[in-house]
Amino acid sequence: MPRRILLSSQRILHRSRLVQLGLIVGFWWLGDAAVRAIGLPVPGGVIGMLLMLGLLLARGIGPCSVRRGADVLLGDMLLFFVPAVMGLLDHGEFLGLLGAKIFLLILVGTLLVMAGTALTVELVQRLMARSGADHAR
Amino acid sequence: MPVEAKILFWPAATVAAYLLCRALYRRRPGWQTSPLLTTPVVLILLAVALHASYGDYLLGSHWLMAMVGPLTVAFALPIYDQRAVIRRHWLPLAVGVAVGSLIAVASGYALARALDLAPELRQSLLPRSVTMPFAMNVSGHVGGLPELTAVFVMITGVVGAALGDLLLKLLPLRSSMARGALFGMGAHGAGVAKAREVGAEEGSVAGLVMILAGLANVAVAPALIMTLG
Repeated sequence: MPRRILLSSQRILHRSRLVQLGLIVGFWWLGDAAVRAIGLPVPGGVIGMLLMLGLLLARGIGPCSVRRGADVLLGDMLLFFVPAVMGLLDHGEFLGLLGAKIFLLILVGTLLVMAGTALTVELVQRLMARSGADHAR
Repeated sequence: MPVEAKILFWPAATVAAYLLCRALYRRRPGWQTSPLLTTPVVLILLAVALHASYGDYLLGSHWLMAMVGPLTVAFALPIYDQRAVIRRHWLPLAVGVAVGSLIAVASGYALARALDLAPELRQSLLPRSVTMPFAMNVSGHVGGLPELTAVFVMITGVVGAALGDLLLKLLPLRSSMARGALFGMGAHGAGVAKAREVGAEEGSVAGLVMILAGLANVAVAPALIMTLG
């Protein structure tokens, strides 16, 4: 009988998005509580993530127990960013020269970041390929 | 509008506007139709028409914003799924994330100085290349304003997704790792969506780089800000 209860609760965990979402919120809550208790300079969500990642790697929980819940959050993550962007309502000053300056900064900065990152990774990949070829010889 | 109505209206309007904008994006994908750009535009027009302030908006919508915490936790799953890729390509991934983050912060700082922006704005601009949940956390820690950072992150994503195609044509990139890192580091979420269109491997590398960059920035931000002042 207890085994059957265990099995059916596991089935609910694997099928229900809501229960999985609850589990993920639980990890966040734990991480947040830990950050508050110890006074870590890291957000609670990051600690919660490390906690969940650790449990997944240690096979404490299976990926099926959180996949549906995580997909809900990750699939529509842009929705959760909208309220923060609405902060623009209190910053009418960005409509003028200041806004143009910031846009210029972001444009130039992003070009540098993208080009720099891609060229660095390409260089590392080519160096590794060459040293790999040397070893083979 | 009475307070009770505001509490119910704004989250409902946010979800409705998001669903509409998402439908538009699915029909015509492109940086111009990214829901991250179109949804706030619709809602800001609505708020201006109704004379609503950010405070009014947040009354009932703060729980939507709070979901950024559990969303950060959910990123554990894609990292877990990609553990084989991380193990195999840890060196280019680590170097790419480190160099990219350094360029992002250094260029933000130098350009903000050159353009004579206020320190508060400068700090808010530093984590703009990092995915939203991490960026907002970093911003709060280094003395920026998280909601300003959210706006800058949004603009970075839209700009980066638009620039990415151009850069792919100009730069001599042979490896899919480099193409994925370009999008993941430069344009976070919007870039990952773009990278998925380029190729499956580009997409997963972009997603991975985005998450690793977020983690790296959260880890080093306090030290960095102390040295930059």
